Amino acid sequence: MNKGFEPNIVGFACNWCSYAGADLAGTSRIKYPPNIKIIRVMCTGRVTPAFILKSFQNGADGVLVAGCHPGDCHYIAGNLKCEKIMDVVKRLVGILGIGKERLRLEWVSASEGGRFADVVTEFTEQVRELGPLSGKSQG
Amino acid sequence: MFRKSHFNIRKFIYDAFDKDMAKVVFEKVGIWDCTTCSACLNKCPKGVDTVGFVTGLRQLMVEDGRIPPPIRDALKSVSIHKNPWKIGAEERSKWAEGLEIKNISEGADILYFVGCTPAYDARLQKVARAIVGIMNKAGVDFGILGNEEGCCGSEIRRMGDPWTFEYLAKENIETFKKYNIRKVVTTSPHCFNTFKNEYEGADFEVQHYTELIAGLIEEGRLAFSREINKTVTYHDPCFLGKQNKIFDPPRKILASIPGVKLVEMDRARERSLCCEGGGGRMWIESEDSEDRLAKIRVGEAMCVQAQILATACPFCLLTLEDVVKTEELEESIEVLDIAELVIKAL
Amino acid sequence: MESEEIKIGVYVCHCGINIGSTVDVEQVRDSVSELPNVSISRDFKYMCSDPGQALIRKDIEERGLNRVVVAACSPRMHEPTFRKTIQQAGLNPYCVEIANIREQCSWVHEDKADATDKAVKLVCSAVAKASLLEPLEEKEVEIAPRALVIGAGIAGIQASLDIADAGFQVYLVEREPSIGGHMAQLDKTFPTLDCSACIMTPKMVEVERHPNIELLTYSKVIEVGGYIGNFNVKVKKKPRYINMDRCTGCGLCAEACRLKGRITSEFDVGMGKRSASYIPFPYAVPSKYTIDAEHCLFLTKGKCGKSPACKDACTADAVEFEQKEEIVELDIGTIVVATGFDLFDATEKPEYGYGLYDNVLSGLEFERLVSSSGPTQGKIAIGGKDPKDVVFVQCVGSRDKSVGNEYCSRVCCMYTAKQAYLIHEKLPDARLTIFYIDIRAFGKGFEEFYDRVREEGVRYIRGNVSEIIKKGDRLLVMAEDTLLGEPIDVEADLVVLATGIVPRADVRELMNLLKISQSPDGFLLEAHPKLRPVDTASDGIYIAGCCQGPKDIPDTVAQAKGAASSAMTKMSQGKVKVEAIIASVDPFICRGCGRCVEACEYGAPELQEAEPGILVSEVNDSLCKGCGACAVACPCRAISMKHFKNEQIFSQIEAVI
Repeated sequence: MNKGFEPNIVGFACNWCSYAGADLAGTSRIKYPPNIKIIRVMCTGRVTPAFILKSFQNGADGVLVAGCHPGDCHYIAGNLKCEKIMDVVKRLVGILGIGKERLRLEWVSASEGGRFADVVTEFTEQVRELGPLSGKSQG
Repeated sequence: MFRKSHFNIRKFIYDAFDKDMAKVVFEKVGIWDCTTCSACLNKCPKGVDTVGFVTGLRQLMVEDGRIPPPIRDALKSVSIHKNPWKIGAEERSKWAEGLEIKNISEGADILYFVGCTPAYDARLQKVARAIVGIMNKAGVDFGILGNEEGCCGSEIRRMGDPWTFEYLAKENIETFKKYNIRKVVTTSPHCFNTFKNEYEGADFEVQHYTELIAGLIEEGRLAFSREINKTVTYHDPCFLGKQNKIFDPPRKILASIPGVKLVEMDRARERSLCCEGGGGRMWIESEDSEDRLAKIRVGEAMCVQAQILATACPFCLLTLEDVVKTEELEESIEVLDIAELVIKAL
Repeated sequence: MESEEIKIGVYVCHCGINIGSTVDVEQVRDSVSELPNVSISRDFKYMCSDPGQALIRKDIEERGLNRVVVAACSPRMHEPTFRKTIQQAGLNPYCVEIANIREQCSWVHEDKADATDKAVKLVCSAVAKASLLEPLEEKEVEIAPRALVIGAGIAGIQASLDIADAGFQVYLVEREPSIGGHMAQLDKTFPTLDCSACIMTPKMVEVERHPNIELLTYSKVIEVGGYIGNFNVKVKKKPRYINMDRCTGCGLCAEACRLKGRITSEFDVGMGKRSASYIPFPYAVPSKYTIDAEHCLFLTKGKCGKSPACKDACTADAVEFEQKEEIVELDIGTIVVATGFDLFDATEKPEYGYGLYDNVLSGLEFERLVSSSGPTQGKIAIGGKDPKDVVFVQCVGSRDKSVGNEYCSRVCCMYTAKQAYLIHEKLPDARLTIFYIDIRAFGKGFEEFYDRVREEGVRYIRGNVSEIIKKGDRLLVMAEDTLLGEPIDVEADLVVLATGIVPRADVRELMNLLKISQSPDGFLLEAHPKLRPVDTASDGIYIAGCCQGPKDIPDTVAQAKGAASSAMTKMSQGKVKVEAIIASVDPFICRGCGRCVEACEYGAPELQEAEPGILVSEVNDSLCKGCGACAVACPCRAISMKHFKNEQIFSQIEAVI
């Protein structure tokens, strides 16, 4: 059965805000597309460029990094460190021809279950429109 | 009396929940009473879009062709003449005859968007000429569109015709683009509001003329030479005050005129009372038998011993002045636009 | 350990039908059974139940499993449970990995096939990580048997007394000159009409006398470092310019003050006046005076007559203008935050004319007016006359999107009923009208009280007031009676606005100080809305009272006792396990560049001279919080983040796609 292109999306969510926000989306039964699979890290400050590149290399069509809003980081400023690194990685994925639009950094707090679902839905839609990265569809 | 009492937006909304929408619209009286002033919208604790609901109901009526004749005529006039006053587009710039105003095609820093009512209404033409006079005194580089100027669509939208509004908006944006207009100054708070908040894809700066003049005074570009020794109160137009939070520039202008004693009415700023001129109400009378709000308002101005009731909106000026005339109050109070006061004192 | 063969047990939970109805649990179980290192794969109705846990333990013992994957709810829910489970069976607690197939799968997806596919991938990812998990060592540190309580309203007072009674030292910090908070400002309390001061004063005095409580009034917490058990706290004590030991509280200084009766009293919320040297209210604790540096002539202008009048008047020689601010450093085990609320500023609702008309009062202003300790000794007079008509407006700043407060303040319905009752008691002829949206009389004895107030003749009209304007020297309150669908105008001599509860204006500052978060309404966020209502996401920091959300006095006291109990539990354990998930440096790879030192917010990595001239980074275990920033910063990958190592996450990435 051909369902059309369904993108593979890897999410990195910080334990304190965004992973908790994703849990809240669940507790509140807010629906979003199943394309995203989240890998938990303690802080977005832990996300090295290698995680992102490895994801794309292994067939991810999009990568979402989600952390605490500025000022809310459990580790003071890990999210801001992540933002700096993401700026560089975005440029890098641009140069590599992967496309900046496939990498997204978002701030989602522990109380923003609805926002988490919105972000994921919208990003999934965007990546779906961009089409498969590797050229192979998972129909 | 302190207010109108028969229009009840909640009843409309409740009925619309379980009844045939058309019945709600056509059986109810009072749908044309709403002036879209936004007093209820600003206060609603639950964020109900009351004004959107009213204009939505009116839209249903327009779609169905069941609209009062005066509204129908105003809408038709806009389609034909680009103004709701049923006068030909070729007469739009008559007010400016003899003033030697630059056409915007010659290039200028600012487009003075006159608006339909100040362009065609004899009383309001004085205001437009006053604004031109003030800008000339201050050496402002401005131009007008002349007969090319078309209705902003604000009232049309509120009378339930979003289609013509969109057409007008698109056309105006294109015209502004054609002449590379970066900044627009309006006479009317209604034009100002729609340009600022309702024109999608607009990339020009908009100012109400009171903001411009207040700025000119602050920069020292306008020097007053005459005194106006009168007690003046200011009526906040809903589309300038309540809806766009512009409360201080008009007051700053009045306070800077030598001799003027500025007094405030009880209902001032956010608390201001609507004059009943918005939302298409310039073209249709209320079905309500209660006193006009403009009459209550003039009474409030007289309560604070004002000799001049100043305002900054064409519709407010007309509705308030109408009360002063019909109630024969000319001896006690005068209704003037702020621009008229400024030009008198220059 | 290195050579040990990895044997993983996978346990997929149905969670009743919570997972089972959207995810084909059996299919998940079967799909992962053949994965490398997996020696057994099972499903069970409730993995977290006793039999579920017993199943895991049995397999560990009988099959020699050394890693466990549980596919169930969020690790934020039951990771601690399963860590304990495998520990009981002799495994290191860090040898379990959770696949979140409930909150992040079955609850958020609808299509069973899609949800099952995703669940399989999430379990594969967990299995991949489990294969690489390493046992971690949990170190323990001592917990200082000292608590810091921030804010001394009724919540802070109650929490302090409970903790102190249990034998722990308490430092109670209050920024005002006296403890007591908002409760001290109230006249009577609903629904029982106890006098607020009468029930509060004994507690305030007890705080002052308690041998285990050190009171730091007129003080502010300015720095919080460290972690549970070992917080390093700095408190700034503002100078009171009065010697606390010498001051007898006689009040001669205030009498003599040249600004007497000219400064707005904060305690009387503008309804009364005070001197520059003042005591906020008669039963203040400590009962000592304070010279207000913002107003005092001597302190602001350097001159007060020939010599400061207060100094001349004081017979105890207690006035000390040379006092300087002082920083107190404290070593603290646990922290209770009880910073309370601010009152909604009714000028944000201009239609009510608050701030414009003298006879429109906020709820708290009315409390001071009606209080026998207030500026009028409880006499309700407007312009010298008894008000004949009084109107109350409910929900001012609450349940109101137009001012951004969607929540209910929970106390206004009842305090308005109480205030109406108090007027009725004092002025039986006054006509009383209350405009409301809904009446929320949900607490013990509330509905009964509301009925009683109505029976006394107070008129309740359902409708939000649209406008209050002047009519002669009275007010005209305009509304719609929404039960009748008709407009109604009521004339009034006095309008009392039921102003709601809002978060403290400086709540952000506090959040940054303590590293705690806020919920969308702006109040402080609890760790779990139902099951951890007094905990925060930061271990050892607890919240109580209105800083967490609007609540009445009984609820505040209950929550304060809960927060105190949580703090005491930790302190009586005496020790706490510190984070095992920390960074470690491979000294053979490290080249001593110091990037990790720059990246760390906590000063955990430090460069040490391993051999003369050779610098190597070393991580201080008790300072490291485990964020992983240093591992990202390290240019030569010498730092690895335990439990979140690069290889572990790479393996997850490979498995999840």
